[in-house]
Amino acid sequence: MFQLGRNDLLPLIEFADFSFKYLGADSLALRKVSLTVEEDEYIVVTGPSGCGKTTLCRAINGLVPHFHRGYIAGNVYVDGINTRESTVAQLAPHAGLVFQNPTNQLVTLNVEKEIAFGPENLGVEPSEIRRRVEHFIDLLELESLREKHPHEMSGGEQQRVAMAATLALQPRVLVADEPTSNLDPKSAEKILGILAEFNRKGMTIVLVEHRLDLIAKDASRVILMDNGQIVADGNPREMLSSSVCAELGIGIPKATQIYMKLEKRGLKLGRVPLTGEELSDLVEEASCS
Amino acid sequence: MSFLEVFQYTRQDSPIHNIDPRAKLVMSIAFAIISLTFINIVPLLIFFLFLVPLIIAARSLRRWSRSMKGLSFLLLFIMVFNTLFSTVPNPFSHSIALTLRLICLMTSFSLFFLTVHPDELSQALIQMRVKFEFAFAMSMAMRYVPTLGQEAYAIMDAQRARGVELDKGSLLSRIRGIIPIIVPLIIVSIRRALSIAESMESRGFGGSENRTYMEQLRFRCRDWGVLAASVLLLLLILYLRFFVPLPDWVLWELPY
Amino acid sequence: MIIMEDVHFSYEGLYTALRGVSFQINQGDRLAIMGANGAGKTTLIKHMNGLLRPMRGRVFVDGGNASSKSVAELSRIVGLVWQNPDHQLFLDTVEKEIIFGLRNLGFSQEDAQQRCDRTLSKLSLEGFGERSPFSLSGGERKRVALASVLAIEPLVLALDEPTIGQDARQKELLADLLKELNEKGCTVIVVTHDIEFVVEHFPRTIAMADGKIVADGPTRSVLSNQQVLDLCSLTIPQLTQTARALHRTFPTASERCFLLSEVEDAIVEILEGQ
Repeated sequence: MFQLGRNDLLPLIEFADFSFKYLGADSLALRKVSLTVEEDEYIVVTGPSGCGKTTLCRAINGLVPHFHRGYIAGNVYVDGINTRESTVAQLAPHAGLVFQNPTNQLVTLNVEKEIAFGPENLGVEPSEIRRRVEHFIDLLELESLREKHPHEMSGGEQQRVAMAATLALQPRVLVADEPTSNLDPKSAEKILGILAEFNRKGMTIVLVEHRLDLIAKDASRVILMDNGQIVADGNPREMLSSSVCAELGIGIPKATQIYMKLEKRGLKLGRVPLTGEELSDLVEEASCS
Repeated sequence: MSFLEVFQYTRQDSPIHNIDPRAKLVMSIAFAIISLTFINIVPLLIFFLFLVPLIIAARSLRRWSRSMKGLSFLLLFIMVFNTLFSTVPNPFSHSIALTLRLICLMTSFSLFFLTVHPDELSQALIQMRVKFEFAFAMSMAMRYVPTLGQEAYAIMDAQRARGVELDKGSLLSRIRGIIPIIVPLIIVSIRRALSIAESMESRGFGGSENRTYMEQLRFRCRDWGVLAASVLLLLLILYLRFFVPLPDWVLWELPY
Repeated sequence: MIIMEDVHFSYEGLYTALRGVSFQINQGDRLAIMGANGAGKTTLIKHMNGLLRPMRGRVFVDGGNASSKSVAELSRIVGLVWQNPDHQLFLDTVEKEIIFGLRNLGFSQEDAQQRCDRTLSKLSLEGFGERSPFSLSGGERKRVALASVLAIEPLVLALDEPTIGQDARQKELLADLLKELNEKGCTVIVVTHDIEFVVEHFPRTIAMADGKIVADGPTRSVLSNQQVLDLCSLTIPQLTQTARALHRTFPTASERCFLLSEVEDAIVEILEGQ
């Protein structure tokens, strides 16, 4: 089987002046994107619809350019592998992708088979597959779903199974493209909680999401995209309080919005809050001093 | 379509469910041949009485009897039709035998389909050297049939709200009414298929020559036993039928 | 405008979706129906245009009993906008798509053409008339589907999960459009999980759980009830979270704040009161 030595000196993901245009499209989906992702980061990618977020995700695991073909310039390296010179299957153990629609990710008739599907495709030893299946059923609390047909599961349950199935390939980075946009708020909260938990355990995460109020607090870095380009990239507090964010019409967390309004009125708080609790604490600090 | 239930897998833990699907396939085929061997009431009735305990052992009696009820109209029709139009000397007796034969035949196959999970079936096919992609396509069809059905209903609702009438008018206008349903259904299915393919490819589908399987079906002693017993029973019945003169009670017919 | 009296419904006798739902929606109302998945929200709005008929109870639409009217007749009064636009688009241009529904529902060709043009410009879709719906982006297809319903100029507009997959700006545009329609007298109903969207733009909320209405009233009082939020698997919006946190430290600040300006004013008061 295909094997590459992991080079720990290189960044986990590197986009080098990468551009892409889908076959038959009029304009570029990504324009000269340069980006590096290091291990342990939790990156949230956001931007208006059609800004190229999904294409960025697809470029990380090789779906662009191998599944979605088109014009390509520049390179993407994942775990030291040039995605152009590799196949989607070869990249699977390096970068795992979770999609928006949970129903379309479950292709078998029960949870065990679903989790086993990826490792089976790559020829992993049966005993090792069994170990991974049990491990991820345990980790994502899927025990009660073990015997259920995907059709009988809720969207949130399906998405949890889809995550387990992707993680079973033991990727070094988990890329999630709006995994909660079809879910109800409670299920969405649960999925985002799982992602944050994984990140704390050392998993690198790239998440595309509109609802920044739910995730900004977990992220180590926010990337803003517009029109196929990265327009801003930095820590969440800086990014969300920047003018770029407001101009792009991105859903800035309410607590951050209030902070900015207070600032305009001349009331300065210690730092930029991302959640209600943080804002409340800052107000308390300010009122004491 | 309630009578189709008898061919639908139900999750159960029963001695019949635990038999290897390949052994069960041979068993079902043997039983089907036995059902076809006779066209007399008595042997078919005996065979029927032999099959019922197996259905009970598979813990599927209720489901089985429900489908038989659903089928009763068809069975009655066959009986009446044959009685009226058959050219055999004793049409009534003959048509009862025919109906019994149909019941035995369905019961034989339902023993297979009721107790074999589609995943097991595809695994059995793979181990019988059917290509993985083919076997997998079959189980995926099972997976997405309910989804597709739901989608079709959603499309019908959307179009009815735009004044499309599905069950009124002449044949021509009805056919015209189908287009607004079929076109979105095809497009939605293509979009879905692409998205499914994306997800499968991302998980290494088709990536390695040496695909492994977490679970292999194993043919155990019990399965050999079932296989041997079914084949022996079939041979015995065929021998009795063709090489031994049948006693009168076996050939008994209803008085005409 | 719409009255339901003790409506019961179950799908093929298998699974009960509505267990005795009663409410009244008046002309000019702007309301949200909220609830967990499977609570019966979509089933409920399908009763408004006759796609589903109650097994028990009665539905009145625009003063008449809905049972005496066909789906097509009811659809001229109550326009339903679906979650997935792809479930209805099937013709090769946007214009044909919009005119198709109008003609089916009995509008003349001339009238339909005028309505189509009017709607396209209202939704900033001018220039899209000759394009194929299938070449458009997801957001644009959603707008075309909305246009095909708006062109009917129904008295009631009901939208199923209109904010799913929409970014903040698209949501704002949608909210503005719905408000504008509402001000012109159209009754607007949304079925949604998006609590912030509801809090900001909809004065009335009906909360559903397990096929029943668990609360119906002004959005603020319905959604400040923790029990209702739990029953509907809703999470507390960040503004309310902020207000609650502030209230814990500064009991004078109200914990029932839903608007940004309210929380902002509360903080200003605290800081300047020092």
